[in-house]
Amino acid sequence: MRAALNLFLSVLLAISCQNFCSAQNLPAVSGRYEKTGAEDFFKDLEKQTGFYFYYDTAQLDSLYIDILIEKEPLDVALSKALQPTLLKSGIDAADKKVYITSRVTMLTALPAGFYTKTDITGATADIADYGFDGKSRKAIAENKIHEIGNKNAPFKPSVLLSGVIRSVRTGEPFPNVSILIDDSYSAISDTYGNYSINIPPGKHELHIIGFGIRETHLTLQVYADGRMDIDLQEQIPTLKEVVVSSARTRNVRNIQMGVSRLSIDEIKRVPTVFGETDILRVITTLPGVKTVGEASTGFNVRGGSADQNLILFNENTIYNPSHFFGMFSAFNPEIVKDVELYKSSVPAKYGGRLSSVLDINSREGNKKKISGSAGIGLVTSRLQLEGPIVKDKTSFIFGGRTTYANWLIDLLPDDYDKSRASFQDLNLGITHNIDSNNNIYLNGYYSRDQFKLNEDTTYGYANRNFSLKWQHRFSRRLQGEIIGGYDYYKYDIKSGENYVNAFKLFFDIRQYFGKINFVYYHSQRHGFDFGLNTVAYKLQPGTFEPLNSNSLVRPDTINTERALENALYLSHRFTPTNKLSFTTGLRYSFYSFLGPQSVSYYAQGQPLTDDTRQSTIHYAKGKFINNYHGPEIRFTLRYAFTPDFSVKAGYNTQRQYIHLLSNTTAISPTDIWKLSDPNIRPQQGDQLSLGFYKNFRSNTIETSVEAYYKNIKDYLDYKPGANLLMNHNIETDVIRTKGKAYGIELLIKKPVGKLNGWVGYTYSRILLRSAEAGLGSMVNDGDFYPANYDKPHDFVLAGNFRINHRFSLSLNSTYSTGRPITYPIGKFYYDGAERVLYSDRNQYRIPDYYRTDFAMNIDGNHKVHQKTHNSWTIGVYNLLGRRNPYSVYFVSENGRVNGYQLSIFGSAIPFINYNIRF
Amino acid sequence: MPKIFNIIWIFLLPAFFAGCKDIYLPEIPSTTTNFLVVEGVLNAGNEPTAIRITRTYDINGNIGDLQGEPNAIVTVEGNDNSSRALTMTSIGTYQSNNLALSANNEYRLRIKTRDGKEYLSNYIKVKATPEIDSISYKLQDGNMQLYVNTHDPANNTRYYKWSYEETWEINSAFYSMIIYDKNAPPKFIRDRKPEEEVYRCWKYNKSSTILFGSSAKLTNDIIFEQPLNIIRNGDERLSVRYSILLKQYAMDKDAYEFFSLMKKNTESLGSIFDAQPSEIRGNIKCVTDPDEIVIGYISASTVTQKRLFISRPAGWSFRQLCETKIVTPDSIDYFIANGAYIPIQEEIRMGTPIVDYQSSTPACVDCRERGGNLQQPAYW
Repeated sequence: MRAALNLFLSVLLAISCQNFCSAQNLPAVSGRYEKTGAEDFFKDLEKQTGFYFYYDTAQLDSLYIDILIEKEPLDVALSKALQPTLLKSGIDAADKKVYITSRVTMLTALPAGFYTKTDITGATADIADYGFDGKSRKAIAENKIHEIGNKNAPFKPSVLLSGVIRSVRTGEPFPNVSILIDDSYSAISDTYGNYSINIPPGKHELHIIGFGIRETHLTLQVYADGRMDIDLQEQIPTLKEVVVSSARTRNVRNIQMGVSRLSIDEIKRVPTVFGETDILRVITTLPGVKTVGEASTGFNVRGGSADQNLILFNENTIYNPSHFFGMFSAFNPEIVKDVELYKSSVPAKYGGRLSSVLDINSREGNKKKISGSAGIGLVTSRLQLEGPIVKDKTSFIFGGRTTYANWLIDLLPDDYDKSRASFQDLNLGITHNIDSNNNIYLNGYYSRDQFKLNEDTTYGYANRNFSLKWQHRFSRRLQGEIIGGYDYYKYDIKSGENYVNAFKLFFDIRQYFGKINFVYYHSQRHGFDFGLNTVAYKLQPGTFEPLNSNSLVRPDTINTERALENALYLSHRFTPTNKLSFTTGLRYSFYSFLGPQSVSYYAQGQPLTDDTRQSTIHYAKGKFINNYHGPEIRFTLRYAFTPDFSVKAGYNTQRQYIHLLSNTTAISPTDIWKLSDPNIRPQQGDQLSLGFYKNFRSNTIETSVEAYYKNIKDYLDYKPGANLLMNHNIETDVIRTKGKAYGIELLIKKPVGKLNGWVGYTYSRILLRSAEAGLGSMVNDGDFYPANYDKPHDFVLAGNFRINHRFSLSLNSTYSTGRPITYPIGKFYYDGAERVLYSDRNQYRIPDYYRTDFAMNIDGNHKVHQKTHNSWTIGVYNLLGRRNPYSVYFVSENGRVNGYQLSIFGSAIPFINYNIRF
Repeated sequence: MPKIFNIIWIFLLPAFFAGCKDIYLPEIPSTTTNFLVVEGVLNAGNEPTAIRITRTYDINGNIGDLQGEPNAIVTVEGNDNSSRALTMTSIGTYQSNNLALSANNEYRLRIKTRDGKEYLSNYIKVKATPEIDSISYKLQDGNMQLYVNTHDPANNTRYYKWSYEETWEINSAFYSMIIYDKNAPPKFIRDRKPEEEVYRCWKYNKSSTILFGSSAKLTNDIIFEQPLNIIRNGDERLSVRYSILLKQYAMDKDAYEFFSLMKKNTESLGSIFDAQPSEIRGNIKCVTDPDEIVIGYISASTVTQKRLFISRPAGWSFRQLCETKIVTPDSIDYFIANGAYIPIQEEIRMGTPIVDYQSSTPACVDCRERGGNLQQPAYW
């Protein structure tokens, strides 16, 4: 608040200076100067007036003064003398100081009576801060000249400026903030807010631009390598700011393509079902991201299946990111800071999934004071607390959610009305700042779901994740981090009503991982990322046991699978000119399937069936049964034709060693994962993409067109009637499948202004084809068929209109082609009933999907001194009440075939949300 | 240290929203399929075997479009080079009174259709079906749930299939003692003879869902309380007395997988996490055109059966909406002669000698109107 006011005053000051600065009583000077060095000239004036002159000798180099002065006041004399040069003089009569600056006049006083209406006392004009000795300093105020480096240091043609960008309020770092210097040099802060940039010494204008922060301008005087930590204001709309329109050019200038970043504020603006802020739902409104339907776990990126997304939550891999049949995402919005989705140029440090990386970061706790929020929602209750453990050093953030969603069950189709569901999730993050070069981050995550469908069967699943990260800065150019952690996912099914058949089915996956990442900043032209990742998997594909002693269930366990996946990566960013930039990344992954294990081998060139199985070999513990390895290429190129128009192209290859087995239309929460083994090859994919990025109207409108073509190899599809649960020879039920995906994504985004939001349109196809020609069991006779999530046309509008500071409207509208479906081609009579006959897969489509959601956000008044701040959100999900089909199906009932359409939400769903803060 | 608590209260507007299931019949282009469908079990006991051969029909058609395959040559071949012919008893049904299969041999079915194509099943083993231990039933939430219990002491059967025939008695709401007879002037109403009674009827139904079970995941070959069918509270079937004749067939694992896929495809859809429907074949192939789709799984086994009777349970809420109407003698032509009402009994109008007729609508008096059959079954 104080800083904002200061800025406000400073800007006013700059505007009004001309009227006030010269009416002062100054000594007169005289003298004849012919080819006098400027320095000598100032020294002479110092003698005459007793004023002390401040100047930069570098700026006075080979500058001579030719003038005759006769008893003129100092200011008049100086302005005459300096008039042919670029130098300006600022005179502080009270302190008898003169500041000689280049181009801009130093302001030395505020207008008379300026402060009489305010109670700020002791405010003085901002002046240049000399005597800086190269130690770290913090910059808050603009309008100051910040000196970097020792000015007596030997001259270098290029110096390195680095530092951390943090919130002035909470001390949290700001990632992904653009640092632009003189509009010629740029850098982006990393996840920890660190930035570094190479610039020539001298005076520079520094602009800082980013989401959720106020655009900031600083003036730098750079002498040598130095560090500048910048504490920034967050974007607070309580004061009407002086808007300085500048380059919001990140989408154009950034080399990465196919990246979507959303801050939690943007996510919260989009209306969602039951008013519950949902990260994954908002992700699915981005171009190129789709879902099978409302109740589907996971999402599909550019034709990839749901298991081809690497979902990272604070470096931990989340195997099941959904609660409650996939209707809600398992991430607490109060904890999340931002979300990044990489659709095409996946950085080389990530690997292991074909389609995308969704990187979700939680906030760091407030290092200054304890704060928190608690909430009661339609679906969940939330509690969130954060604060310092050691002030300015160590902080924590804790979040928890629980649900009472049983009433929601009643909204499901009648067949589920005896069902029950509950879920919880917990987050804990601890950040410790050892010193300015060492930080430690500890994160824990737990989520649990339990539900019971109509019968007596209960299902449960849980994620448990833990990670520890130590981040170290070796030098200004090199920093590294070491991360270790543990990911766990399990589910179980229990059924107990029929005591003879009472069973418990259990699946889990554990993974221990370590990552070492380095970032080396060589120069403005070269940068390197390198490191290594390792993951040790231990997967229990299934344990089937009696639930109690009366049960006759025969215990059955599928052998535990173990594997090790290592990867090395190196990525080089090369910027030969300001317009051209390349990133060349290479990742080499090496996967080993480990014993103890029994592996079946099948006759060469024959379909894998029970009949062609030739031998089963048992391998001892720790034995490397087989290895898969290969390079992965990550290449991107950017050429910026103008500051607001660029073209980017990329080529990416990926390998995936773990697969989700699912033969249901929508991914269900109880599908299992499988590691690659001698019979199941890793999936491989490559993607070629091209994008055009153009900004309009002073970069307030961003537009982009991205096109891609993708190949997928060794994707898994399933034989008709495949049984994936407790299958000891799963390889006999899968069909190796090839895929091709292509599409074009159009996006118009207006991130700022009264009317903000985005409009996206995607045309995309994903076609699959059985790869084992001649081996029988071909889906659709080996022809291409669309995948379940192939929805060619997809249109999304996510809009927000701020009528005034207290009232805004949000509208979200989605249209997409209906998903493919297998319709019957005929009927037959069998076992006492008419039944339908299916043939080629996915040759028809369900009716198109169209939904509009609407929300109004009403804030209470913005007076600072009141006990409570309140706001309302009123909205309607599925405003038009359209019964969007989730599936169309045919069943034989009482001997006859009936066709039905199933909708998850059958009407408009209104919600009201009242928030109070005190 | 100032604390900020952010309390959010959310209210829900009264909402009448629900996920929903609507009848939906998409336009699916008609395609000529006309694939052969073969259904039946080769009975290894002394009972008759019937194989039903039909054709698939148009997706937009209805059960009336079902065509039996006439004049095919159907034989059962043994791996002992034996051959047994089945004869067509009605269009599409081919029967043998006793195949006299041997448990030591394997058999297959050969079909030659009149269009010259030849179809052959795989060789199948003859399975012995254990006896049904019991049919049990329980009232659950007011509904009657029936179960089958069986076991194989030899632990050898593992896969079971069932089908059932239901019989139930229905009674009319009113017991009619009189009858309209146009040949009985002057009243045209006379007493009913015993053979004219329409109070008790029986109705029949066959199972129309695929019923199978497996003990493959259990230590012993026991089927315990495998659900058969459920009779919803108020259903007519338990209005008087109900009987079920359950037939049990042993089958092999492939047959089990065939029927479980057929059930998934045609009965178990409509949940949020549906399996993808897929093509279904069986163990019969067209010899002349190996790519032709043939639907059906032929197995061979003995058949065991059991019958159970259940009387109307206490609290069964079956009700018929029936009212009586007084028809005066002068309006018999108008109400009774045309069949709109059936007289139940005579009633003397108070204080007069006039006899009126208590009557009701046919569905309340004549059980045949409700689809019943007056013939009492032999086992009743």
